[in-house]
Amino acid sequence: MKAFLTTEALRHREKSCKKPSVPLCLCGGFLLFLFSITALARDELHLYNWNNYISDETVVRFERSCNCKLVQDYYSDNEEMLAKLAAGASGYDLIVPTGNAVESLIKSGQLRPINKQLLPNLKNIDPAYLDTAFDPGNRYSVPYAYTITLIGYNAEKMRALNLPTDTWAVIFEPKYLKKLKGRVTVLDSQRELMAAALKYLGYSANDTDEAHWRRARDLIIRAKPYWAAFNASSYIKELTIGNIWLAHGYSNDMFQARQDAKNAGRPFTIAYATPKEGAVLALDSMVLHKTGPRPDLAHRFIDFMLVGKNSAELTNLIGSGNPNRDAMRHIDPAIAANRAVFPTPDIQRRLEMLMDLDRNQRRVLSRMWTEIKVR
Amino acid sequence: MNKERLTRWLTFGPPFIFMVVFFVLPAFIMVAASFRFPGEYGGLAPMFENGTWQFTLETYRFFFSDFIYTEIFLKSFFIAGLTTLICIALAYPLALLITRVPKRFRDVMVLLVVLPFASNFLIRVYAWMIILGPQSAFSTAVNSVVTAFGFEPVPLLFSPFAVIVGMVYVHLPFMVLPLYTNLEKHDPILLDAAQDLGANAWQRFWKVTWPLSLPGVYAGSALVFIPVLGMFAVPDILGGTGDILIGNLIKEQFLGTRDWPFGSTLSIMLTLAVLAIAALAMRYSRKSLSHA
Repeated sequence: MKAFLTTEALRHREKSCKKPSVPLCLCGGFLLFLFSITALARDELHLYNWNNYISDETVVRFERSCNCKLVQDYYSDNEEMLAKLAAGASGYDLIVPTGNAVESLIKSGQLRPINKQLLPNLKNIDPAYLDTAFDPGNRYSVPYAYTITLIGYNAEKMRALNLPTDTWAVIFEPKYLKKLKGRVTVLDSQRELMAAALKYLGYSANDTDEAHWRRARDLIIRAKPYWAAFNASSYIKELTIGNIWLAHGYSNDMFQARQDAKNAGRPFTIAYATPKEGAVLALDSMVLHKTGPRPDLAHRFIDFMLVGKNSAELTNLIGSGNPNRDAMRHIDPAIAANRAVFPTPDIQRRLEMLMDLDRNQRRVLSRMWTEIKVR
Repeated sequence: MNKERLTRWLTFGPPFIFMVVFFVLPAFIMVAASFRFPGEYGGLAPMFENGTWQFTLETYRFFFSDFIYTEIFLKSFFIAGLTTLICIALAYPLALLITRVPKRFRDVMVLLVVLPFASNFLIRVYAWMIILGPQSAFSTAVNSVVTAFGFEPVPLLFSPFAVIVGMVYVHLPFMVLPLYTNLEKHDPILLDAAQDLGANAWQRFWKVTWPLSLPGVYAGSALVFIPVLGMFAVPDILGGTGDILIGNLIKEQFLGTRDWPFGSTLSIMLTLAVLAIAALAMRYSRKSLSHA
């Protein structure tokens, strides 16, 4: 409302500028501009969030409840966000990074501890998602939503070819892949693909033993000739139009591919499943950046997002996993019943969050990744 | 005199300062970064730590310890060279045609050459994903021919072929424009003279037009070859599982691996390689000029 008034006023100014002296009007306009900045700055919460990671209704309700304005800025991967902060971006009250990025931010001293007294709704979070390795005791972070890195597939094709859909074997074993040659994409991410291979070989996704890495590398190189591409984003579209039948990717993306295929009236459905060997779970958490001017509003936002209904809106929008127990009753039953997003306890035990590698390990892994790409 | 000096500084100064601030200084920063250690959480480790200066040759040792990086360099040079050759082969006849049509069509044709720049580069590359995709009319047509000859259908998208197509498509205008500006200046009387002296069409082209157009060919080649070397978006979007070029490798060091020193080393190696090629080319062209 405030913003609306201001632009109206400015427009009016512009019109009246034509006749009286121009410098006077410019001065007036400038003053008005300054005034509007200070007026708006009074109650603003700056959220640095993933693209499309909060529902519009939630935003509207929050703004009404706090009588403030939620200003969002977006990123599309953690590295981008970390790089921007490292370059000196400031003024963000809240950020929603993934686990290992939270760890980086904590260790580089960029975060403000949270005050749990201000978060009565924290009790709604499933303890399985609290006290994580990247932030023991949740001193800095509060879970927001999660994705699982899994396999998405064209259900009709996979059935017709009689292929399993509950195991990484279908991504890595030539005996299955030869039926899918050129119809498979895997993520263009060193950590994610290595994690899938390590999981398939029975190791931890965070295993750092070089011998195990080499086995995983060899497994990947053996499977590579059957894959169409390493792909980070266009697999959603390729699955939807039927060019790709099997993709290694994120649960949110598979949800979108499924919706898109349905809305476009495709003669097939996109399904997705978490492989039984286990997979990577990426937990995004809300954290307070040190440079944020409004920790009070930030706490209000966190507590607001911990309310089941608000948290559920995000899941209903993008199919993300939800660590909030109170949200379950508000979630679309079709999503709530999806075992790929809300896994059985048995699978849940085999989900792992990726931990950061140290700089030497990163260099070793990078060389293996280059070998994978070249061979 | 004083005024002349001022004019010179005013014309020469701003671009000079711009280049110093945004090219020379960053280049030195990059050289310095290549001798440092990567930071634990990305970026660079402190230069001075535990009472000693932290500099190392490790990244260079790492680069030469494995043939794999050299291999990617060679491959990138091959792709860049091939793209340049295809661009010359496609752009030359077009540029020649533009100079020969009546003046009123000429400007329209030049406009058409630069028109693709009006839409975003990524959108144009994405369009190729659709054109080359397995369900497209183009793909179906190509594969019906291929299968008619008894071969397996070939996937066009996510292949080295797609990368070359994308590279050529994106860089073609950079070859057409310098060629056109060069060819436009040729005096048609020279061709008439050659014809009077008994040269046939091929000889007129090969002995007159081509040698005169060489500066345009060199300029166009430089404008195509060097950007292709550093291009990472095209192989990322159109390439298959093996189509990694230096650009992708460097990008990976800065984003995926967070290894700035090694990324800097790769960039420096690339710069050195390009400079070496430029030096060789200059030497060669000077030699051929002095022989002529």
